Amino acid sequence: MKVTRREFFNYCAGSAATLGLASTLGPLQKALAASSGPPIIWLKGASCTGCTVSLANRISSSAPVDLADLLIHTIDLVYHPTLMGATGDLAVQSLLNAAAGKFILAVEGGIPTIYNGKTCTIYTQNGIDITALAAVQVLAPKAAAVLSIGTCASFGGMAGANPNPTQIKSLSAATSVSTINIPGCPPHPDWIVWTIAQLLSGVTPTLDSSNRPTALYGSTVHSQCSRRSSSWATSLASTGLCNGNLGCKGRQTHADCPTRLWNNETNWCVGTVSSSGNGADSLCQGCTESGFPDKFAPLFSTNGATPSGHKVVDKPSCMTCHTSGRPD
Amino acid sequence: MAQITIVDPVTRIEGHMKVQVTIDTVGGKQQVTDAQCTGTQFRGFEKILIGRDTKDAPYITQRICGVCPVSHATAASMAIEHAAGVTVPTNARILRNLVLGANFIQSHILHFYLLAALDYITPPASAPFTPVWNVDLMRNSSMQQIATNFITAITMRREAHEMAAIFAGRMPGLSAIQAGGFSAKPTSSMISNFSGYLNKLINFINNNYVPDAQLLSSAYSDYHQIGKGSGNLIAYGVFDLDDTSNPSRLLKRGVVYNSNLTSVQTLSTSKITESVTNSWYDNTTNNLNPAKGTTITVDPATKPSAYSWLKAPRYNSKPCEAGPLARMWVNGDYRQGISVMDRHMARSLETQKVANSMITWLNQLTAGASEYTTCVSPFSKSGEGLTEAPRGALGHWMTTSPSTTLAPNGMAAINNYQVITPTCWNASPKDTSGIHGPMEQALIGTPVSNASQPIEVLRVVHSFDPCMSCAVHVMRPDGKPVTIIKGEPEF
Repeated sequence: MKVTRREFFNYCAGSAATLGLASTLGPLQKALAASSGPPIIWLKGASCTGCTVSLANRISSSAPVDLADLLIHTIDLVYHPTLMGATGDLAVQSLLNAAAGKFILAVEGGIPTIYNGKTCTIYTQNGIDITALAAVQVLAPKAAAVLSIGTCASFGGMAGANPNPTQIKSLSAATSVSTINIPGCPPHPDWIVWTIAQLLSGVTPTLDSSNRPTALYGSTVHSQCSRRSSSWATSLASTGLCNGNLGCKGRQTHADCPTRLWNNETNWCVGTVSSSGNGADSLCQGCTESGFPDKFAPLFSTNGATPSGHKVVDKPSCMTCHTSGRPD
Repeated sequence: MAQITIVDPVTRIEGHMKVQVTIDTVGGKQQVTDAQCTGTQFRGFEKILIGRDTKDAPYITQRICGVCPVSHATAASMAIEHAAGVTVPTNARILRNLVLGANFIQSHILHFYLLAALDYITPPASAPFTPVWNVDLMRNSSMQQIATNFITAITMRREAHEMAAIFAGRMPGLSAIQAGGFSAKPTSSMISNFSGYLNKLINFINNNYVPDAQLLSSAYSDYHQIGKGSGNLIAYGVFDLDDTSNPSRLLKRGVVYNSNLTSVQTLSTSKITESVTNSWYDNTTNNLNPAKGTTITVDPATKPSAYSWLKAPRYNSKPCEAGPLARMWVNGDYRQGISVMDRHMARSLETQKVANSMITWLNQLTAGASEYTTCVSPFSKSGEGLTEAPRGALGHWMTTSPSTTLAPNGMAAINNYQVITPTCWNASPKDTSGIHGPMEQALIGTPVSNASQPIEVLRVVHSFDPCMSCAVHVMRPDGKPVTIIKGEPEF
């Protein structure tokens, strides 16, 4: 770890303030006494690299301010197949060197198990193809902490959707090692950076029943959505209304997207057009939840939608709780 | 004496790839005499799509690749709209062009600086960028400017994604591209925000990226003679400029082959065939026209002669290269040559061309005008969506179910879905005739100064900007129903 005391304090203070976690500052400051943290080994299983691309979109007023700051000044990322300079044997040697000591393991992508894992081999060692399955089964038990980056590593995700053609397992299920899950398809870069910073400072985040940090995944998207008191939308052509009847999964999905926003606070999936802002005006798909996407399929229309468009089908159940009939 | 060198993992690419080269001295020159490119991952997205509501395809297929999600969302939407006979509103066409263009800029900057440049410049003195091989980096001192711009490029590619997210919602994993159009409604402030980013990016492209590519091309001019490949080029074309069913495009559709590099042929997807001789699929499916093919994977342990999860697509029996050079060549914008450095040059000039065109498109947007139309998939229809990913030609083919087989919500379901990606063309293994894929051909004959640090191999591979997660998919671009073998992975 190459973070300076000042940079790291700024980062932790910034993230703690953002998240209302002033009480965690004590242990974080204590950890600043450490001059070095363990290296991070980032492996990719059956991934699409979307988690890494999202990490590269990191931007913050607090250190690490962006990807360059993160990589050069903050963490010791000794192995990352997309970003590393080394290739072939030299890359494998970096992995082996780090694995011999204390390290943090981060895995992006699920772990395929069909054909003994041979639908995903990730490097050659002594002339033998090493599968992602074999690699994580060796590395996860030795790691100081294990991070499942994204929904595929956390829960199986999109590539593990029915009929799960390559028999993908979550990292935890494939290794029998407990993981800290940072789901999202992709996860927000702040979620990844915040969790790594906690670990480097010696703090284990409080996790929910899906092993997600409660500080990041504690509330539903719907509960934070600016549209929750508006009327029902009946078509994607409308704007600013609650898309719950078009298939929005905000009520079942835990994440802070409506307040954190994405891409330098530019927008988010449901984003509402305002006079000065941007808006995607689409649907939350539940990408941070275990069971995504099958649990929420079909993603872009509700059960019972008619061929002529969209039909309100879950309003009656909403009205059981919300007598006004509004989706609040 | 010949020796075999394995480079695995090939890093600084998208996905998992292994390259095995035979290195020998021929005519007094040590060089690659044989090459195998191996796609080492497959996931089976096409099988996951079967039985689902068609409208989910743009969202699901984006997860094939986190670097080219816009292209997959676009191709999927086009396939559905083609089946439904729907033309999207003008605003939607333009919004898609703008978001796709933003991702081209993001991807090309990412590729040149973060993925490819480390084969030529001294990296930042920090993991993960070091260590690197001790090879002929920084041939002249002026290349320091590329190293300086390496850090700026990290900012620029991020801002290109922020620009895309203004309309797309978030990047990657966008939510706004839908069958029927585009969900976001452009306002004058969104257009203005987008314009601010675009002007900044155009400055970087004009003043840094294109000059840096020229500098590299000049400092490593020997790489104008290295890595030619198959010499056949394929482009599906991209960036529709009107709303007709056969629109004019900023980058045209066409094929160039048989060494006749000035004659652009009309593309016909019926001329695509696939060999599985050297791929981990059942031999009974070999050399079929994809329209009649069935895909059955095999355990690699039972087919040791094969070496890749990629099939070997061929156009009129020819291995074809896809990518920015193919597009710019077919379009007549760049015809200096086919080589490692020509790929970098064409990619940078394409970035400039697309970015400049985006100014025009942005001005064509009508704030408040319709950008979404209801698109309902009919039963038993097929649709085709041909577009381009930053790294080359991308096609999606879909068939909808008969009315007797519905999606869980009562809508027409996806009966069959096939994807052909650019890296499947470029990094394909040998076909049944023993003809190597374009990247393998580009490697053969490449001089190698140190067989244990074959930087020349890496430079050739990186010039194609491989995207292996995209690549490992199979392909029956017919839209006809196929028999699914229960229990067998299908992709």
